[in-house]
Amino acid sequence: MPKVTRYDAPRVIDSGSIWILVAAPTIWAVHFLLSYWVAAVYCAKSGSGWLGGLTDPRWIIVGLGGLSIAAIVWLGMIAVRRYGGVFVVLEEITDSSEQGRERFIGHVALLLCALSAVAIVFTVIPGLVFDRC
Amino acid sequence: MRRGTSILFGVLFLTALGGCDGRHNWMAGAGEEAAAIGDLFLILMVGAAVIWSLVVGAAVYAHRRRAHPGLEREARLFVIWGGVVFPVLLIGALLVWGLFLLKGITADEGDLTVRVDGERWWWRVTYETPTGDVVTANEIRLPQGRTALFRLTADDVIHAFWVPALGGKMDMVPGRETTLALTPKKLGNWGGLCAEFCGGAHALMRFDAVVMAPDAFETWLAREAETAQVAADDPGFQVFLDEGCGACHTIRGTQAAGPVGPDLTHLAGREKLGAGLYEMTPEHMARWITDTHAMKPDIDMPPYPHLSGPRLDTLVDFLMRLE
Repeated sequence: MPKVTRYDAPRVIDSGSIWILVAAPTIWAVHFLLSYWVAAVYCAKSGSGWLGGLTDPRWIIVGLGGLSIAAIVWLGMIAVRRYGGVFVVLEEITDSSEQGRERFIGHVALLLCALSAVAIVFTVIPGLVFDRC
Repeated sequence: MRRGTSILFGVLFLTALGGCDGRHNWMAGAGEEAAAIGDLFLILMVGAAVIWSLVVGAAVYAHRRRAHPGLEREARLFVIWGGVVFPVLLIGALLVWGLFLLKGITADEGDLTVRVDGERWWWRVTYETPTGDVVTANEIRLPQGRTALFRLTADDVIHAFWVPALGGKMDMVPGRETTLALTPKKLGNWGGLCAEFCGGAHALMRFDAVVMAPDAFETWLAREAETAQVAADDPGFQVFLDEGCGACHTIRGTQAAGPVGPDLTHLAGREKLGAGLYEMTPEHMARWITDTHAMKPDIDMPPYPHLSGPRLDTLVDFLMRLE
């Protein structure tokens, strides 16, 4: 059995794989969960001192938002480079071919990236407005 | 038949509109916070009506017109701008506006601070003053035009503090403190209530929110801070002590210092009995003592059915003098 090297091992997110479709909404969900955790831990601990007062949780939530959006941008680049995804709305992607299907997945992945990015911004906004528990 | 149905719905609608009036009316605009929420509601309602009309109008138009395949590009652009870009911007703007509105309502500063502790099923109210805390219950008096900061807690289960005409509402959670700012604009006796189901007598957990002119409020608060004037040999007070009322209730200035039930130091100065339920009259007071659970089921206070005649009258007379 040939040895699988690091270079030819199958990538989870690569042309032909549909995992790219769930990646961006998953980042959105994880960011949402982490935002709640950060706020809950900050509010629970701010009274006892070890975390509260050291770091304003707003900047943690903004940082998390920035990291999440950076990850989504990276996914969008993969969708464009490896899937040939295009962010178009004026043409239909209906080729009944292997390449057409891949372009379709890339296209949907890009739309989901945009949706997830907007959702993450909407999650960050309350963190910017409210500066306490 | 159709006409009859229309008339019936019309009558029901007008009857339902009657519920929009009165001391619990959140559209009365009696407080700045309620007025801000009212503005938000109005703009959302009108905006939603306009958008709904446009969408349904477009659907009807599309249904009646013949298809124009040559207009596909325009149609796609219309869907993108009208169905994606516009809603995202609009919802984003409404989110920011609503958040700043909420931030104002949950401010942590005010001209005066009132702590309210939700109990089953009444309200322990404490005014913070430079000379110390002033404790009362089941009635909250507020000065017109000044922002009152409410620091809310609960003793047993989750309650929610709501004076619809003034603003709110805000949860009261055991183990943590929430805040709510209210700035009354209109004088009057506005209704307050618990807005989170909290057990048996939840629907009977009410209070009066009395908005007074600032001078009258200061006079009231100074009076409320005073201890009760009770003679040691007052026969009504003797009945109060003999029946063990002092184990649960406090009358400041006497040996009655029970922490369980509402503070009774100025009981008769309140407009209502039983947490915003009954007019403060001797008849209601007598019935409250002897037939408590018929007037408010499930509460901790036991009824005293054995009290009657002159002994009951003496006790009621004493309580009605606690002004």
